[in-house]
Amino acid sequence: MVDPPTAKRLVQVIHDNLPAPVGERRPVHTIGIGVNGRFVASEVARSYCIAEHFDGEPVDVSIRFSNGLGGLEQHDGWSDVRGMAVRFHLKNGTGSDLIATTLGEFFVRNVDDFFKFSDTAKREPFRRRHWLLKILDFLQLKIPQRNPYPGETQAIDAGALRYANQHRFSQLGIFQVGLIGAPASYARASYHAVHTFWVTAPDGVRRPVRFYWQPVAGVRNIKPTPEPCEKYLFDELKKRLKRWPARFMLMMTIGEEGDTLDDCTKPWPGTRLRIAMGTLTLTEIPEGEDQATAGERISFNPCRLAPGIEPSNDPILKARLGAYEVSREMRGGCPFKWRADNA
Amino acid sequence: MPDNEGLMDRFVDRLPETAFFKFVAARILTPLWAWWTPVKPLPGGPHPSFQHGDNVQCMMNLIMPLKDKSPVGRAHAAMAISQHKDAIFAGLNNVGTVHFARFVIVGDNICMFSVYDGDFTNYIRDFIATIGEVFDAVVGLVEGGEKVIPCDKNVEAFIQWVHERDLYQVPDTPTDFLRDQERLNGDKAVAPVNDDLTLLPRKMVLQLRANANVSLGSGYRAYPGYSVAQVRKQLGLGW
Ligand code: HEM
Repeated sequence: MVDPPTAKRLVQVIHDNLPAPVGERRPVHTIGIGVNGRFVASEVARSYCIAEHFDGEPVDVSIRFSNGLGGLEQHDGWSDVRGMAVRFHLKNGTGSDLIATTLGEFFVRNVDDFFKFSDTAKREPFRRRHWLLKILDFLQLKIPQRNPYPGETQAIDAGALRYANQHRFSQLGIFQVGLIGAPASYARASYHAVHTFWVTAPDGVRRPVRFYWQPVAGVRNIKPTPEPCEKYLFDELKKRLKRWPARFMLMMTIGEEGDTLDDCTKPWPGTRLRIAMGTLTLTEIPEGEDQATAGERISFNPCRLAPGIEPSNDPILKARLGAYEVSREMRGGCPFKWRADNA
Repeated sequence: MPDNEGLMDRFVDRLPETAFFKFVAARILTPLWAWWTPVKPLPGGPHPSFQHGDNVQCMMNLIMPLKDKSPVGRAHAAMAISQHKDAIFAGLNNVGTVHFARFVIVGDNICMFSVYDGDFTNYIRDFIATIGEVFDAVVGLVEGGEKVIPCDKNVEAFIQWVHERDLYQVPDTPTDFLRDQERLNGDKAVAPVNDDLTLLPRKMVLQLRANANVSLGSGYRAYPGYSVAQVRKQLGLGW
């Protein structure tokens, strides 16, 4: 865990890089929607992990889907990382959180990198690249810088690329962000929790694992257009859930001796053992004041974990413990029990 | 229309889709850049790894150009496989670590695609030791095959010959592909480096010029991490 001043600084640098203050809202993943659901573990889940939500009994779940960008403007059609934060509600009133995004890996390894990245990848004026320069790019068989979306006058793209060009560990994450696109639905994307966690089995065996959500409806992005639709994801999900519940499979990959446990910039190879841990069914979208609670005031923390799941030593995961609490306090988010006795 | 977009902007944005640009890219720019910034072919087969998961269900994509590039040559290849099917299957059974293997004719190549556990050299060594001269009939139809016939007497040369014809396995992530190129060029740069990520398309194009046939990604596995022996045991096949 990082000390409280570092946790504050982590959140502050995010606020400092916003296009405009967001008030009492999240400084990243600002735009989001709360959804209710149920999770049912698979037959085999309990043999890998003793956490209560893997025992096979259906568990109530709160989910918040979000657009990754920080800021009050909603740009559903922009190419952007999407978030899926999930809380499994446990019997004693506590919860176990799992926060994931559509990016398969992160772009910095630790807090120091994060500060350096934030320093380099600042918002800069973002203008259309001149067509002559684009022709020069094509002649060099290079990818020209993307065009700004209508109304997009600033971006961090150039700074992020500068950072990636200097730091190979960040190249995959930053390259993938550039290609990520916009999903056709929040229910049609895969979401990765990127960090390693340790799960304990009933026989006491501890295994390093990584989790991801796989949409049963399949992965689908919209076709990119120069003037993308600003708002469609909330309505799409509402309509979808009125017709039929949407489902996700929770997949757990088991790491092997030699796999990177504490570096979330490095995905594990696809050749690792993969266990289907259960199915999440999205059932309804709360309305009105209930939506404000489910979509805004709710606060997740990647280190809030049921007994049976522990965080790894990934420095980013450890830093998030404090940073998310700082951010929650700053925006007046709902505190949530860490322990049954609330101590 | 997005602000300040002019006619030339729109034209240039669509340029890569035009037949003219595609022609220029393929016929002029690619050879030009290949000459200016030469790229070495990347070696075939799985990436070396000590880890269990990377050493089960490995892929071999063997592409063997036929000497006789005609329907007659292809028919000979088809015959060689079908005549020796029993020997080949028995050999694969005896190797004991092969999940799947099949022969395919693509263009004027006879290809062997297989999924196996363990070390590549052991697989080929066991395979050739157990089927021996029968495979000579296939190798004899292939360009450069005469150098390694009889295969069971030239085992090490045969292993090298197969390795050279096994496709480069493009990694699952574009950046691991860059790392492969860097390794091949002996680039051990440490941070901060001075890369240019926007060059990735050119690097990929030139690599695909050097390795015209490649296998894309590590592939899908329904039950990753399990060896042939484990699958047979779980299924109770009495093996
Ligand atoms: C040092 C690294 C990171 C910092 C400083 C950071 C910071 C933050 C902050 C301050 C929030 C708002 C929290 C709140 O107010 O409730 C947030 C939300 C979020 N972050 Fe991170 N984050 C980091 C890494 C990551 C990583 C690696 C992921 C990938 C899984 C991630 C995914 C998310 C998601 C999905 C949300 C929205 C959660 C929600 O809907 O409530 N973050 N992050």
